[in-house]
Order: sequence, then structure tokens, then C-alpha cells
Amino acid sequence: MKPKIAIFSLTSCEGCSLAILELEDHLLDILGAVEIVNFREGMTDRDWDIDIAFVDGAVSTPQDAKEIQHIREKSRVLVAIGACACLGGVNTLKNYQSESDYRRCVYGDMANYFPTTRAKPLSAIVKVDYELPGCPMVKEEFLEFVKCMLMGKVFRLPDSPVCVECKKRGNPCLYDQGIFCLGPVTRGGCSAICPTFGSKCEGCRGLISREGLAAAGVNIRETYNASVKDVMDDLRLYGAYQEGDLP
Amino acid sequence: MLDRIITHAEVLRIVADLAPEHRIVGPVLRGGQYFYEILTDLSGLDLTFSYCVYGPRAFLFPPTETLFQFSRQNGRFESTLSIERVPTAFVGVHPCDINAIRLLDRVFSKDHRDEHYLSRRECAFIIGVDCAKECTVGVFCADMHGNVAKDGFDLMLFPLEQGSGPNDMRYGLVFGSKRGEVRLQKGSIGAIPKAADERAMEEYQRRKEAAFPHRLKTRLEELPSLLNRSYDSLLWEATARRCYSCGSCNMACPTCYCFNIFDETDMTLTRGERKREWDGCQLEKFAEVAGPHNFRPKAASRLRHRIFRKAKWVKDQSGIAGCVGCARCDRACTAKINSVEIYNQLAEEI
Repeated sequence: MKPKIAIFSLTSCEGCSLAILELEDHLLDILGAVEIVNFREGMTDRDWDIDIAFVDGAVSTPQDAKEIQHIREKSRVLVAIGACACLGGVNTLKNYQSESDYRRCVYGDMANYFPTTRAKPLSAIVKVDYELPGCPMVKEEFLEFVKCMLMGKVFRLPDSPVCVECKKRGNPCLYDQGIFCLGPVTRGGCSAICPTFGSKCEGCRGLISREGLAAAGVNIRETYNASVKDVMDDLRLYGAYQEGDLP
Repeated sequence: MLDRIITHAEVLRIVADLAPEHRIVGPVLRGGQYFYEILTDLSGLDLTFSYCVYGPRAFLFPPTETLFQFSRQNGRFESTLSIERVPTAFVGVHPCDINAIRLLDRVFSKDHRDEHYLSRRECAFIIGVDCAKECTVGVFCADMHGNVAKDGFDLMLFPLEQGSGPNDMRYGLVFGSKRGEVRLQKGSIGAIPKAADERAMEEYQRRKEAAFPHRLKTRLEELPSLLNRSYDSLLWEATARRCYSCGSCNMACPTCYCFNIFDETDMTLTRGERKREWDGCQLEKFAEVAGPHNFRPKAASRLRHRIFRKAKWVKDQSGIAGCVGCARCDRACTAKINSVEIYNQLAEEI
């Protein structure tokens, strides 16, 4: 029996769902191994008998909250995919503005028709079994996850920071240019794609450890001439760190 | 004792002669910093470069490599050893990196022969270039005896006199291997050194010794006992407050050889590859075992572990320090943790 897979989107650009369709070379192999029963971006059929549900997007509206609870009830395994589902993502930027401001900004004079809430990751509402973080999620990691599920093998996210992959690629370090890159505190697994192309890491795969975050707090104040506010803004871009100020 | 006197142009002739059967790796300037890269054009080769950000280790011990391929068919398990034999000629390897390669040679041939490393190493040709002075502030290679390479190369170049530019350089050359010697005889390259050249070499070595500052307050021989007395120092905790455990020091280190092993399977789930990748003792999960128990759960214990390995344990085991003093760890550190400062603070404490 092929496992039944479904893919859902809450508040997001749905880029992570699309990343699955971008696995073009492997798509037929995947379809040979699993049965996709519910995928708005890819098909019209709908079925609610689900073994593994992949969900991208944050919970940002009352409708999202209802939907994720329904998906949770109908799925044996729930997987959050992408920064929005795992961390809240860029949606959480609104959490630092007044509700009337962002609603007017987004919906104009229709603002009253669209109730919204503070943006949250899926895990704030329901139990999440696995997370595949990133903006967008790393599609190769999705593939690896599917293989692990099929083999009954334990799936583990990479547990080293972005610096490891960056240095393995032989990249010049952005710290040499005085740039406060989030590589040292961010979970790797992305092949350090941003620093490889000269952009600092923005932490879209979330924090690797509390100890690393505490070190960032110390280094901003003692090692670098960096502004706590700027670094906080960076950490909040994808919702990597939401609790007040840096330790 | 010099074996030949050789010009920059003649060095290029040797390299060009190696090129048909070797990939050539040498220093390349990118964004103001040098990196060891595969060279396709020798015209810009500058052997007077300061230092390369990373050592040449990745070409002998790649960040990720396949150990063997496996498959399961009709209930049978089969595996095929994957040995990559890419002859590589390195040109412009500084003594610190030659000493680092010697350390890897010993690690990967002692007890268990690591065919993957050794197959690359055995067909590697190394042209070293000696440094007349420290390459950058902060190196402590003179303290770790890393600034002099006695063996581990095929040819070694000594910049006896500074030319007006990289292309005018004239080097004293020393053979490090029979195949190094054969390369020069084959093309009748280089001049026989005269008495004046030998004197210039002696003068060079005196000059070099004076040009390298000593930064450690403790002699290399005394570092193990210094560390012995420092196991419970408060310094580890105090310094590790800044440590991200990002592993940058490990990744940039030319002597780090730890790796992790994992399997990659294709979509049929019946075929795959067993691979290995660089690992690092500063990473939080490095010492985690089943259970899960972590032998070094705190950054402070990991930082201490690295320093102990580099200056004590590897030396206790083999007589050669696990560090060549190139300071790549210090330069790569995203929190500016400095190993020279650590050693000197410990020396002051005790």
C-alpha cells in the first residue's frame, strides 16, 4: 500500500508546495512510491484519508487555525514545510505592528472584512511531527524525508550551523567584510546558498541552539560593534527569534 | 643544502609538464584573499602570496566523498568500493600546510589504512614554497614549529632573494623525493647551486628565524604540561561565552580530520552510497551518542577539547603537535576567539 500524501497551504506564498513540483527529475519516482490524495497546487481531486500531510504557511487568520486543526485530525503524520509553517516566517513581521496599521496596509478600505490574528507557526496550534524549514524549504531535504518515511528510517534535520557548509564550500567568510551574518546561529542544510552568492544568512531555517543565541548576545555587545536592534530585526525577519530582546 | 637554483619561469615549466596528468592546484586571488583552487591558467600564478584562507586539505580529503556504492537485489547485498584517483599537483604550499598534510598522512595510514585518503595522497605532487616572513599578524607557526618543513614535499622552493615581482623570483630548490628530482632532470631544469648560493641559503635561514615572532609564552614542549594543569581553569567557561559552536575553526583547520558517515539512497530504495563528510568537535552534537548522551554538551567543554587535542593529545600519541600554528582557526572564528590568547592566559594563570 502506497502511503497517502496531501499537501496544504495556509498563509504564505505557497512557494514550498511549488518546490515539490520543482523536483521535476524525481517527480515520477515520487509518484511511483506514494499516492498524492490532496494537493491544491497540483491536482483537482480531494481525499481526506491522509497518512502524511505536508503544510506550508503560517497560522495568520482564524480560518488558518480551523484548517490546521482539521488537517491534524485527518492526518497520521503532520509535517510543517518552510519557514512560515515552522517559525511563522515573514508573516510574523506584522506581530510587531499595530493590527489596524497592517490591516489597512494590506486590505485598504476592505480591512474590516478580513479578520487576522498574530502570525504563528503550526506548532503553536497543533502537534507537529516533523519540520522541514527554510525559505523556501530545501526540496532535496523533502525528498530525503520522503525516502526516510518509505524506508522506516529516522529522519533528522542537519544539526550543524550554516557556517559548516559555507566553509566546506570554501567561501570567503562575510565576517571578514564586517557583515553580521546569521550563519553561526542558523541551522544548516541549505548548502549555505545565501553566503555562497554573497548575501548574509538571514536565518530562514531557524536557530540551531539557545547556547549559540546567547553567544550572539554577548558578541554583539562585546566582540563586534553591532547594533542589537539590527540583529534583532534580522532574527525576526523569518521569525527565528521572537521572545523580546537577545539574551 | 640546495639541489638547484631555479627561476619562476622554470617553476612554471615544471608545472606545465605536470599538467597533462595532474589537476593543478595553487593560490588564486579572489576578492583580496587567496584560495587554493584548480588552476587552468598559469600566467597569473603568484608564489609570493601571503596565505590562503583555507589549507589544501579539501583536495586530499574532500568535504564530502563516497566511500562505497551498495545495492540490494533479489535479497542479495552488494557493495563496490569507490576510490577516486585524481592525481593532483599542488604548487605553492607553505610549510604550515605541508606539516598539516604530514599529520593527515600519519592519521590516515596509522592502524587502519584509509584507502580513500591515501589513494589521493599517493598520486599527489607537492611543490612547496617557503615563507621568508610571517604571512599575517596572529600566526604562531614558529611556536608550533610549523614554519619549517623538513619533508612531506616533492620540491621545496626557497625565495633566496626578492625579485621586483612574482615573475622575477629566483628560488633555491631542495628535492624532497625521487620523483621530484626526476622532474627536474627530465627537462634539464635549473642551475647547479654555487658556493655563493649556499651562503645565500644560510643567510636566508638566519633572516627567516629572526623574521618570525614568537607569540606563545610557553614553548611547544611545555604546552602539554601547561594544559594538564589547566583542565579546570575558569578560562574555558569565560571564553566559551562567546563561542557559537559554529565549527568554523574546525572547517578552516588544515589538520582537522574528523568525519561523519551517512548513507544516501536513491528513490528505488535498493541502491545507494555510503558517504563521509567533515565533522567538527566544536559542533554541539559531535560527541552525542545513543541514549542520547552528550559527552561534551557545553561549548566550554568543546572548546577545551579542541585546544587539548591540538596541543596535547595528538602530541602525546604521536610526538607531533596536532596544530601547525597557521592561525586559520583564529581568523575563521566568527566570535574572534583567539587560541594564542588562550595559551598565554593559561600560562599567566598558572
